[in-house]
Amino acid sequence: MEPFQVGAFLTAGILVITGLWAVIMMDNILKKVIGANLIGDGVNLVLIGIGYRPGGLVPEVTHQFHATAVPSSFSHFLAFNEFANQASYSLPFALVLTNIVIGASTLSVMLALSVVLYHKYHTLSVQKIFEGMEEED
Amino acid sequence: MFDYILLFVVALSAVLAVIQENLYKSIIILGFESFSLAAIFHFLLATDVAATQAILGAALIPGLFIVALYKTTQGRDE
Repeated sequence: MEPFQVGAFLTAGILVITGLWAVIMMDNILKKVIGANLIGDGVNLVLIGIGYRPGGLVPEVTHQFHATAVPSSFSHFLAFNEFANQASYSLPFALVLTNIVIGASTLSVMLALSVVLYHKYHTLSVQKIFEGMEEED
Repeated sequence: MFDYILLFVVALSAVLAVIQENLYKSIIILGFESFSLAAIFHFLLATDVAATQAILGAALIPGLFIVALYKTTQGRDE
């Protein structure tokens, strides 16, 4: 593995550990949502780091591929093989692109639920929200 | 060298966003962390993911957080 890949994995580990600590230990409910966002960022960084190839071509920027591909002959197959041998692995990119958008939408749902909890119990502290729930019972 | 500095910045700002007391400062640091993460995605050869992460992580998510924080505490510290 490349050194930059190892550094990316270590940073992702720090992100996930920090997010888990915020979700479990923090009392403020918005801090818990921030921790959930950090966990998602760490997982995205792991997936992107898997597809990294040092000095590789970017699969979406295809100047090299189109310059050597000649239509109406079979030479563009060879060009495609060369391109596929040099490009980085692009399947995790598509997965992470979906994961970012889904993460943003679930984050908005979490924020809306915390706003609803604040309007019901008039506090952001999770401990006080639990106390309010016990008083209702 | 700059990419390793960006990795350090992402880890440091994630820790700072969690341990910060003021929630407005915490949200701003979270946006900074997301934008640095987009730059790391660019160095990891994922340019489309970097563009999406830069837009969503640096603009949409802090905006949603600030709207939610304003609707809960009305700008007061709590």
